[in-house]
Amino acid sequence: MIGMIRSEWIKLRRSVVWLLAAVSPLFVAVIGMVELEKEADFPWVAVLSIASALHAMLFLPLLVGIFSALVCRYEHASGGWKQMLSLPVSRMQVYAVKLGMVMLLIAVTQLLLLLFVLLLGFMKGFGGDIPWSLLMKSMLGGWVACLPLAALQLFVSIAFHSFATPLAVNVILTLPNMLIVNSSQYGPYYPWAQPMLAMMPREDYGFGAFNLSMETLFIVVLGSFCVFGLAGLIYFQKKSV
Amino acid sequence: MTTNKETILETSGLTKKLGGKPVVKDVNLRIGRGDIYGFLGPNGAGKTTTIRMLLGLAKPTRGSIRIFGKDISKDRLAILRSVGSLVEYPSYYGHLNAIENLEAVRRLLTVPKNRIDEVLSVVRLTKDAKRPVKGYSLGMKQRLGIATALLGNPELLVLDEPTNGLDPAGILEIRELIKSLPKSHGVTILISSHLLSEIEQMATRVGIIAKGSLIYEDRIEKLRERSQGHIHLGVSEPEEAWKLLSASGVKASLVEGKLTVAEKNNAAIAAIVARLVGERHQVYRVEEEKVSLESIFLDMTGVEGSL
Ligand SMILES: Nc1ncnc2c1ncn2[C@@H]1O[C@H](COP(=O)(O)OP(=O)(O)OP(=O)(O)O)[C@@H](O)[C@H]1O
Ligand SMILES: [Mg+2]
Repeated sequence: MIGMIRSEWIKLRRSVVWLLAAVSPLFVAVIGMVELEKEADFPWVAVLSIASALHAMLFLPLLVGIFSALVCRYEHASGGWKQMLSLPVSRMQVYAVKLGMVMLLIAVTQLLLLLFVLLLGFMKGFGGDIPWSLLMKSMLGGWVACLPLAALQLFVSIAFHSFATPLAVNVILTLPNMLIVNSSQYGPYYPWAQPMLAMMPREDYGFGAFNLSMETLFIVVLGSFCVFGLAGLIYFQKKSV
Repeated sequence: MTTNKETILETSGLTKKLGGKPVVKDVNLRIGRGDIYGFLGPNGAGKTTTIRMLLGLAKPTRGSIRIFGKDISKDRLAILRSVGSLVEYPSYYGHLNAIENLEAVRRLLTVPKNRIDEVLSVVRLTKDAKRPVKGYSLGMKQRLGIATALLGNPELLVLDEPTNGLDPAGILEIRELIKSLPKSHGVTILISSHLLSEIEQMATRVGIIAKGSLIYEDRIEKLRERSQGHIHLGVSEPEEAWKLLSASGVKASLVEGKLTVAEKNNAAIAAIVARLVGERHQVYRVEEEKVSLESIFLDMTGVEGSL
């Protein structure tokens, strides 16, 4: 297992795509810099709202798609699957490590976001203590809520030989987010909307799907992760390469 | 003649249907330890499909595969630990250099790091090892593929058309390497090709597959025997000579003034010549016409020439 992770890292580290992880957090920081009033009542909550609307609603789902396609790209490109799967490795392990790499890259993204938000707070001189629990809940919640989407996008990325197809699918399905997050009926079940619903600071917002309890959301998230993950794994197990 | 060698690989009734039609039909392969098994067949015969199943990359529709005495559907990991392979065209990560490529594979095996330098020097890639593989020529990629297959010190090496894209010098080099492995390391090799001429100089056994069926499997010598041809005699009076030989019990034929005898061994030919000379025939030529292995192969596989 450790060997396989190191093997994945060798393939990944030379790719520049994962530098994209820094783009979205940087964006949030810049917008925060420009838009935030120093006198805002709850500046940390306001920053998180910006992060949710920009990062979690748009960039994060796109990044999940890009990272999933990335970890499959070099396997599709020149017979990598064939080579890897004729070595003594189980397909279950390969699948788990690929999914793990996607989630690791997402974790890096979330950490960078946290870093940039804190930096913004210091530069703008937000008053009061840093609301660690609010921030951590948002970052960690956003990460967990990416699980079902990562499983789905990994499935699509394994199935399609091309790099562009899974990305196109992802973009098309990310766009309706703006409408879907407002629906308390569908929002929680839509994998592309789940990261935003999880990252939104709850206290002040009560419209659409946002007044949903965290517990309900995470039951749905973990449930759908199991379903998509299992479907992808079974597909991968049966696939001829 | 049967050999008593330990069986390394054995398939029985191996069948694969793709898109509804069988592309591998009821194939029974048997490879003994130390064999260099030439797996021959024209394009589209089912070689790659068979090899994919041997490596567990695709599941057979029917039939079973045993390697090292274990069933691939049950002990895939244990088997693959001792198998090195190169399927169809070399696999590589283009953005990495040769060392990184081998390191990515080595991490999934249990071999020491210096093995990378060893296999690189075996395929003579040491000099180019530090540049990205996407800039390699086809032959260099092919050599990297062979290095990758050798990395885990395999007991069984499965090579699907390994000389694809190599120049004559490269082909010779790979051939010498392949020939040396069973002797120096006790490796068993399955090597596929659509060219008999390429295989016959290294194979100890051959299996010929055509349209998905294994139509021939035996030692290479058996195939060679078939390629022994006929002896033609150039004589002053063919008609008379033919009558003389037929009368004395020698199987001979006369076609368009060309006298041909079925005998092949030296003593028999010498006796025939002596007899003809004794009867005052003048013998101008004694020529052997060989049937090439290539044409036997084409006959068997029912393919009319190549494109
Ligand atoms: N996915 C597929 N669906 C349907 N038919 C297929 C598929 N893959 C291969 N075939 C068919 O199976 C047959 C055997 O193919 P295979 O690649 O095993 O041949 P081969 O002996 O390796 O040929 P070559 O010398 O050209 O490499 C071919 O007729 C091919 O068209
Ligand atoms: Mg082939």
